[in-house]
Amino acid sequence: MYLDEKGAAGAKTADVLVIDDEESMREGCHQTLEADGYRATTAQDGRRGLELIETMHPKVVIVDLKMPGITGMEVLAEISKIDPTIVSIVITGYGSVESAVESMKIGAFDYMTKPFGPERLLESVKRGMNLNEERKAAAQPSISPEAGEAVEGPALDQQTVALKSLELLGQYYSLGLDKRDFLDELVNLETEARFHAETLGWIKEREKILREVLQNLRVVDEVIAQYEYEKSAVLQVMLEVQRRLNWLPRHALKWISRRLKVSLGRLYSIATFYEALSLEPSGAYLVEVCTGTACHVRGAPQLNATVSALLGIQPGQTDSNMLFTLKNVHCLGCCALAPVMKIGEQYYSNPTMKKLEGIFDSLKREKQDYAKVEVA
Amino acid sequence: MPRLKSPDDLYELREKLKQERDQRHTCVTICSGTGCIACRSQDVVAEFEREMAEKGLEDKVALRRTGCYGLCERGPIVVILPERICYLGTKAEDVSEIVSETLVKGRHVDRLLYEDVETGQRIVRLDDIPFYRKQERLLLEANSLVDPKRIEDYIAIGGYSALAKVLLEMNAEAVIEEIEKAGLRGRGGGGFPVGSKWRTTRDVPSDPKYIIVNADEGDPGAYMDRSILEGNPHSVLEGLIIGAFAIGSQKGYVYVRQEYPLAVENTEIAIKQLEEYGLIGKDILGSGFSFTVDIQRGAGAFVSGESSALMSAIEGKVGEPRLKYVHTAVKGLWDKPTCLNNVETFANVPLIINNGSDWYGRIGSDNSKGTKIFSLVGKVNNTGLVEIPMGMSLREIVYDIGGGIPNGKKFKAVQTGGPSGGVLPEGMLDIPVDFDRLEKVGSMMGSGGMIVMDEDTCMVDTARYYTDFLAHESCGKCVPCREGLRQMLRILDNITSGKGREGDIELLEELSEFLQEAAFCALGSTAPNPVLSTIAHFRDEYDAHIRDKRCPSGVCKDLIAYQIDAEACIGCGTCARNCPVDAISEVEGENTVYEIDQGKCIKCGNCIDVCPPKVEAVVKISSSVLLESA
Ligand SMILES: Cc1cc2nc3c(=O)[nH]c(=O)nc-3n(C[C@H](O)[C@H](O)[C@H](O)COP(=O)(O)O)c2cc1C
Repeated sequence: MYLDEKGAAGAKTADVLVIDDEESMREGCHQTLEADGYRATTAQDGRRGLELIETMHPKVVIVDLKMPGITGMEVLAEISKIDPTIVSIVITGYGSVESAVESMKIGAFDYMTKPFGPERLLESVKRGMNLNEERKAAAQPSISPEAGEAVEGPALDQQTVALKSLELLGQYYSLGLDKRDFLDELVNLETEARFHAETLGWIKEREKILREVLQNLRVVDEVIAQYEYEKSAVLQVMLEVQRRLNWLPRHALKWISRRLKVSLGRLYSIATFYEALSLEPSGAYLVEVCTGTACHVRGAPQLNATVSALLGIQPGQTDSNMLFTLKNVHCLGCCALAPVMKIGEQYYSNPTMKKLEGIFDSLKREKQDYAKVEVA
Repeated sequence: MPRLKSPDDLYELREKLKQERDQRHTCVTICSGTGCIACRSQDVVAEFEREMAEKGLEDKVALRRTGCYGLCERGPIVVILPERICYLGTKAEDVSEIVSETLVKGRHVDRLLYEDVETGQRIVRLDDIPFYRKQERLLLEANSLVDPKRIEDYIAIGGYSALAKVLLEMNAEAVIEEIEKAGLRGRGGGGFPVGSKWRTTRDVPSDPKYIIVNADEGDPGAYMDRSILEGNPHSVLEGLIIGAFAIGSQKGYVYVRQEYPLAVENTEIAIKQLEEYGLIGKDILGSGFSFTVDIQRGAGAFVSGESSALMSAIEGKVGEPRLKYVHTAVKGLWDKPTCLNNVETFANVPLIINNGSDWYGRIGSDNSKGTKIFSLVGKVNNTGLVEIPMGMSLREIVYDIGGGIPNGKKFKAVQTGGPSGGVLPEGMLDIPVDFDRLEKVGSMMGSGGMIVMDEDTCMVDTARYYTDFLAHESCGKCVPCREGLRQMLRILDNITSGKGREGDIELLEELSEFLQEAAFCALGSTAPNPVLSTIAHFRDEYDAHIRDKRCPSGVCKDLIAYQIDAEACIGCGTCARNCPVDAISEVEGENTVYEIDQGKCIKCGNCIDVCPPKVEAVVKISSSVLLESA
């Protein structure tokens, strides 16, 4: 028995096993995990780690990739042989993203770059525990006859998604980001993808979102380049990004902050100050009802009430289909045509209720047709 | 494109362009301002292109997309030069007739001509239309002579000759003197003398200096600056370069609100063309003077139009005003001396240089020289942009140019000066419109919004409207403005929803005083104007809301109701079909009549609009009974 092993003595099983040659790392992880209610145990090298896996059947194993003796990679390979339901998470040093990719190829579920905070650890372990449960459930022979068929094609698991994202990032890397940015962003992206995936539910979505995030970041980079990395152009950059993406997603702001070296706080204060910048995605069609004085005296409030009733949303809201966003704007500068409404680039002067119905219906249809084409 | 290395190069180019223009005597101009584009003027352009090609007229007749003609409500506007035949409300379907009748046979298409409301007569020439007759279109006239996307058009009509004159024949001192002598005052609202602002900036012993065009135009209900930038951006840029030379600046900005995409686009194109011709850049026209311009887009915050706030915005910060211990002319953009002027201000500069300060001094009134463009909108027959010599009376503007109030309604007031201005009631219709006299009667010139209100406009609602706007747009940096406006809005909300109390008016007045004295910038200190002036002139309306819980103009939603007069209703059901919330249904009984469910009604007024004119069964009522029953 190793003297500094924590929690192993006495206990027969463990939730989490931490394998690392660095004492402070083992100590830190152990404390954090125990404090959060997990039964944790530690090992200081790969050989001892494998022993404990056989005897204590942990659900999640955290393993450092770089250790003397049996390497983390070898441990990973063994784990999947011993018990494929065990979820492994690797710890990598700063700057060794290639090995992270490698490790995921042979079965690691997640990786954490040193140094990482307790939240990062707990979050990863929590997900690992869930996955372990899913794997155990899946390993049980299914009783219901339907269970076997159903789902078309294998659902992507998180591992595949992470792999894809790394691949995508690899492409991005080759576009000329410097390495430091790349790595930091990798971590950010992962968090970002999870954040979105959680709200949207489906794993499949994650890949899509990651792609989107990447594409958005590319747009941001283009815009920033267009303004020659000029810090004072930050408002212009935000406006242009808003124009191209239709809103300012969190990751875009982060990226701007990082590239222009402007604090995220300042970006948020700018974004909330200006009418034209939006921190929420808007619907496919932006319906702007002018509330300028000329429009106001010629019936803008009535127009607003009608539009709002027809769309079933209040100004500032987006409908549940993400089709229409209704916005009140101060002045569209079309005062002679008051009251004015604008959708996209098209202006409408004092539309009647029937006309409005027609406009909204045809836009709805347009979008449906478009969706059909997309599915096909 | 040849770089112009000297004034002679410019003059030579002008001659060449003029000859090209003269070759095609007739020119069809089609308004491509935002208003007309909204009415599909591009379709008209496309149709003209097609028709003229088909008839083989391209060599004889020129086609030009121009900036705003001003009579926006009657667009798309087509004017045929040189006769200046004016067709209104032209549709693509009308084009072939215009081509075959007017262009080929020289006859007019009567139905598209302006019809005089009183006499029923058709008016052929643009200048004979009452709307234009009394105007003096020093700035807007050029809109119809140029395609804003072609610098060549501007050069052909004499553009950049003022610049050449300034750079090669005058020194900075002489330019400033000329502007001072002309008595040009800023058109952005304050009416500050332009010459002395330029002189102050020039005299600060610090470099570099900056010069900025303020095209933020945040005043709701105004679009003068938009039309100039969209229709003739070069006139503004020429003024800007002259200003830069006068104050000794080598770097300028045009700050345009992004809600004006066409203005941004046309200005961008104009700057690119200037660079190509060498009219900005290094050693302009061989004078040794160098200058560059950038566009900055504003992002929709009214307060960012204020000078110090605008400069913060260009620096990439939140566009909030700074405390101005030191004027921005001394310490402005990046703490350097900076001169900020409005779009229309700059557009006046080439005129003054070309025609001289004496000529300019003869236009306008004592202390307000030149013309002013107004956006004459609201409840008036001819809505659009009007340019008048300052000193003209409100009555002339509203009745002679604007054609009076539509639908036989009664005039109530004119609002000028936007959210910082006030209302002028009927008794003030004869005051001359200029900087000083408007201010004396509790309003102000402002940037040029002129909103006409009739008996159906509620003055308390108007005060509430502006206060709401300002409370929303207050940057919140100073407490008097933030809290003061919030309190005022709360009181006005109460009054307009029938919860007003005795003493509210006095409270509003007290808060107003507090704001006027303690606010940080002009947004706050002028914010009470709409409230104070409506109280001054329409106190009875406040009283009706507060005491009788009644909105005499039938505007305030909580104090009105729509009802259907069962006697008059013919049961056609049009109202029910046009109700967006299905609040109207048939009543059981002998005759088919309809009824409005007051609980569901959102007071959009569609029912009253669609009820057939001969029936008029839907009525809007406002009385204290309403509130009690609700
Ligand atoms: C709240 C506020 C908003 C303003 N908005 C504008 C504007 O949209 N356009 C403008 O030209 N001036 C605006 N001004 C006035 C400017 O501060 C400044 O006086 C003006 O641009 C100077 O130009 P001028 O001397 O040519 O008038 C605003 C002022 C305040 C206090």
